[in-house]
Amino acid sequence: MSQNELNDGEAQTDSNGDDSTATDGESSTDSDSRLITTDVRTGESTGHGGSYETVVETRNLNVYYGDERAINDVSMEIPENQVTALIGPSGCGKSTFLRCVNRMNDLIDVARVEGTITLRGTNIYDERVDPVALRRKVGMVFQKPNPFPKSIRDNVAYGLEVQGRDATDERIEESLRAAALWDEVNGQLDESGLALSGGQQQRLCIARAIAPDPEIVLMDEPTSALDPVAASKIEDLIDELVEDYTVIIVTHNMQQAARISDKTAVFLTGGELVEFDDTSKIFENPDDDRVEDYITGKFG
Amino acid sequence: MARVEYEDQLDDLRENVVAMGGTVVSRYDAALTALETRNESLAEEVIEEDGEINQRYLDLESDCIDLFALQQPVASDLRFVASSFKIITDLERIGDLAVNLAEYTIAAERERYPEINLIHIGTETGAMVSEAIDAYEAGSSEHATAVAARDDEIDDLCSAASDAIVEDLIRTDYGDEAEDVMDDVSRLLLTVRDLERVGDHAVNICARTVYMVDSDARLIY
Repeated sequence: MSQNELNDGEAQTDSNGDDSTATDGESSTDSDSRLITTDVRTGESTGHGGSYETVVETRNLNVYYGDERAINDVSMEIPENQVTALIGPSGCGKSTFLRCVNRMNDLIDVARVEGTITLRGTNIYDERVDPVALRRKVGMVFQKPNPFPKSIRDNVAYGLEVQGRDATDERIEESLRAAALWDEVNGQLDESGLALSGGQQQRLCIARAIAPDPEIVLMDEPTSALDPVAASKIEDLIDELVEDYTVIIVTHNMQQAARISDKTAVFLTGGELVEFDDTSKIFENPDDDRVEDYITGKFG
Repeated sequence: MARVEYEDQLDDLRENVVAMGGTVVSRYDAALTALETRNESLAEEVIEEDGEINQRYLDLESDCIDLFALQQPVASDLRFVASSFKIITDLERIGDLAVNLAEYTIAAERERYPEINLIHIGTETGAMVSEAIDAYEAGSSEHATAVAARDDEIDDLCSAASDAIVEDLIRTDYGDEAEDVMDDVSRLLLTVRDLERVGDHAVNICARTVYMVDSDARLIY
């Protein structure tokens, strides 16, 4: 995927988000050929507290790899500005689910998606949706930190440039600060991102992911390759990120899910979503016996 | 089954809490017998043996903390360990109340108000504790709820006993005897209060059991 493809000439609004009509009317059918644009979000601060709006919704989602079904008829509503954790044993489909939200599964030839996933009411699998534009709205952080073999500055600049924003020093600082990395790398921005420690690299990747100002940040086991101290920094960071973003995280560490998430979805073998509820409910008194067995470790 | 060692630790905790409950109830029964028969040497035994209950409490507390820290129990396991952690405190307190009764027995020089049947109240609250532990062991919220419901009657009996003592005190002029009477009466009122508290601890054990089984905190609050 070339830089040119990513920079495919979206109409820009200014970063201040003054245009109050930019994203509010999405439920009406848009005649624009692009249903997902990189317009800056607005109106997010109108209601403080209270219930959370659904930002991503799946309906009867099924995903197949060839003949094998990886996700089995999953319907769920993911609330905005909350951390939603996806847990379950290996092969339960939680990473597949995560990758559906920014259409990373499009990159796998044998993958087939049925059902709908909507982002603020827009079906992201609609043929008019540009997956590249979608991925600017839905950023992703992977298990192993994967900074580009470039300078710290260029790593973050990339995140800004894909949105067509100038990579000014101010904006680079803003992203690094938001990723809780600024204080540690300030003064060495021209050094290679690969020279950082694992935990710092992961925060650099988070800075890169949030630089385009996405709505959602997907994280696929973002701390499993990190030591406990580096992991706890990422956990603290996630707690701060949800003030501005919606975080969906896959983790094998159940205590981590319990610590950092507001909602927990438990997937079990066969890609079935067995229970999805407030995290405290899942870990104190789950409804489903299979969830109880899984989280208490009596599974299998 | 996975986590065999962990499962064994949970089973051990349950057995040890039940065993501690058995010990506490037998000490409390002994204290009641001492009170009823004014048996000072038996009362001394109850006082001396309280250290063993305290030690057992500390050991079980430490077991619970280890389970929390090392096994990080969740869901029904979490409720079980958290409830056990609270129940052992109630049991330890019942042990302390048995010591109080033993001390009253030793301090008492004469019997007053024989018409007030303290032993009946004490036997009933002891039975409540014993059954509360049975409910905990069996994981029966129905049994726990039924046991807790019996506490109203205990409260009524204790309140009637206290009222009778106080009314008598107001009505009667004890003259020169007044100082001795005040001593006896305060001790008697404390006895009534302690017996009533044993019932309250039994209710606490029931409340934690209901929470443990049904995740229902109704009786706790």
